Amino acid sequence: MDKKPTVAEKTVVQEPSILHESVIAPLVSYPIEVVVPKARQQTPAVGQRATRLDGRLHGLGQTGYIDDITFPGMLYAKIKRAGVASARIRSIDTSEAEAMPGVMAVVTGKDVPCNSFGPSLKDQPVLAYERVFHAGDGVAAVAAVTEQIAAEALEKIKIDYEVLTPVLDPLESLKLETPGVHAPSANIYQSKVIKKGDIEKGFAASDHIVEGTFRTQMVEHVPLEPHATIAMWDANGRVTIHSTLGRITLGRADVARTLAIPISRIRIVATIVGGNFGGKNEITTEPVLALLSKKSGRPVKSVFTRPDEFIASTTRHPLIMDYKTGVTKDGRIQARKIRLILDGGAYCSWSETTLGKACILSAGPYNIDNLYAEAHVVYTNKTMTGAMRGFGAPQVCFAYESHMDDIAHLLKMDPLDIRLINAFNEGSLSPTGQTLQSVVVKESLLRAAERFGWHSNGKGSTNGGTNGGAKLLEKENVNGNTVRV
Amino acid sequence: MVTVTININGENRTATVPPETTLLRALRDNFNLPGSKLGCDVGDCGACTVIVDGKPINSCLMLAAQADGRKVLTIEGLASMNGVHPLQRAFEDCASLQCGFCGPGVIMSAKALIDENPDPTIPQIRDALGGNLCRCTGYVKMIEAIQIAARVMRGETAEVNR
Repeated sequence: MDKKPTVAEKTVVQEPSILHESVIAPLVSYPIEVVVPKARQQTPAVGQRATRLDGRLHGLGQTGYIDDITFPGMLYAKIKRAGVASARIRSIDTSEAEAMPGVMAVVTGKDVPCNSFGPSLKDQPVLAYERVFHAGDGVAAVAAVTEQIAAEALEKIKIDYEVLTPVLDPLESLKLETPGVHAPSANIYQSKVIKKGDIEKGFAASDHIVEGTFRTQMVEHVPLEPHATIAMWDANGRVTIHSTLGRITLGRADVARTLAIPISRIRIVATIVGGNFGGKNEITTEPVLALLSKKSGRPVKSVFTRPDEFIASTTRHPLIMDYKTGVTKDGRIQARKIRLILDGGAYCSWSETTLGKACILSAGPYNIDNLYAEAHVVYTNKTMTGAMRGFGAPQVCFAYESHMDDIAHLLKMDPLDIRLINAFNEGSLSPTGQTLQSVVVKESLLRAAERFGWHSNGKGSTNGGTNGGAKLLEKENVNGNTVRV
Repeated sequence: MVTVTININGENRTATVPPETTLLRALRDNFNLPGSKLGCDVGDCGACTVIVDGKPINSCLMLAAQADGRKVLTIEGLASMNGVHPLQRAFEDCASLQCGFCGPGVIMSAKALIDENPDPTIPQIRDALGGNLCRCTGYVKMIEAIQIAARVMRGETAEVNR
């Protein structure tokens, strides 16, 4: 075996092996080494300053946002908003606008090949056709050589509305006798229910039942940069769209659907976005601009006005949240029942995601063995609600934390202590049965309390709970993740 | 139509614009200076802030004709061939701009402040940024950058260091 091969032998042996490798190889497995941070491991990035690659250009004013881009022969588009929450469109007369010098194209709902889109339900028209579902609905669009002419042309478009009674209150919308916003579809368009344990048993085992209703309002993202789009329909039947859209692949699919052309003919160019926060996740006027460009044969730009931004882009879902919690005298939660009603506005948009996330998180970061949470999203004749940072999480956080404060107040407990008693531990199960890792709720609460002097500034409890939280934690560490103390 | 001659970033520029044209529109569309941004068009957000005769103003609220014969400094006029302005450098190093859309306006407000008051306190900086809205970054890093830039401009430190 130690016998070294002669030069001749080597040659004979090696040649086929090289050949073999070149046929079968490469057998290198990728990725070669995956560095996965361990739970609770702090990466070197934490605490470092993160300068941005595009930071210098931002500061120099050299970053090119959509509105900073122009093309030769470019037209300016404006969209006429309905201004009524619910109506039937009897007629639209665009003749006077079309006759104006400088107006190059006018489109209405009937010009849209497939007048519906949406991230989940395809319930949103590109431009209103026959029906208006909220005041921000676009009913007609004009492309003109200047913005002023486009704005003047909008005034000349005559629309005859049969104004209908709008559904504005989500609780009214829930009722069966309320007319459907999108009749014959029901007003509740999505629901989710999470059940865990037996709430009746939990309530029976409780010393106190605390109930509360919490409401949040509609919030607009207000990105500093308004929605902006430039569309160019070329002679080959391809359309290039510069857009502030955050999700361009989804946008291409929606544009392909609404324009009824293959996705391969659509090119979407995304530049640096001047603030998104979830408000630029789906298309808005892109198909309208494409149609105006097709009709006029020129590039067309539109930039939302600030009022457009408020009435015609998505907003955060207002929620009505009913909470009922059973607790023992010493503050342990036995059962919780939750009902969330999401005001979905006129169209679904990202309601599905928001509903799911709000429902899953609605119980809060607390160990609750008996839970019943239901969430429903309803149509109303209001500005549509969609994605916004947190997808429903901030709304329910406001509710469950306020509710916890109410419970602490009733039990005359330190609000910190009641949280420490009930908060998740390492390995706790989420309401949907997920085993949670890297759980540091209690450590975070205690550290925060220490930082802002929770116990020293008189905000703490009056019943000697001053260091109760810290004691609880100590015991837990000794016992190894025991919840009850 | 009105013909206006404005000294923009040290250079006399002339344009003929419709009378309703704002200074912002004229800067962006007629003078090819898109650094000043249109955020609200009603003077709320401050993204269009430029310096006119030493004072920070919302260029969306001033007509181009009102700027006739006056000196206007825009974000494009801050950097020179010798390098970027200390404010721009500090904003970059402190990562004070995220999406950057409010940046030109904020930096111009800060420039006007430091020109008038080379050693501003934090409340004075906050006050100077009162007309500038930011939705991503927040104001903490901006205030930090403005303090650093002011130090550099006073000659106390050559480098933007922390």
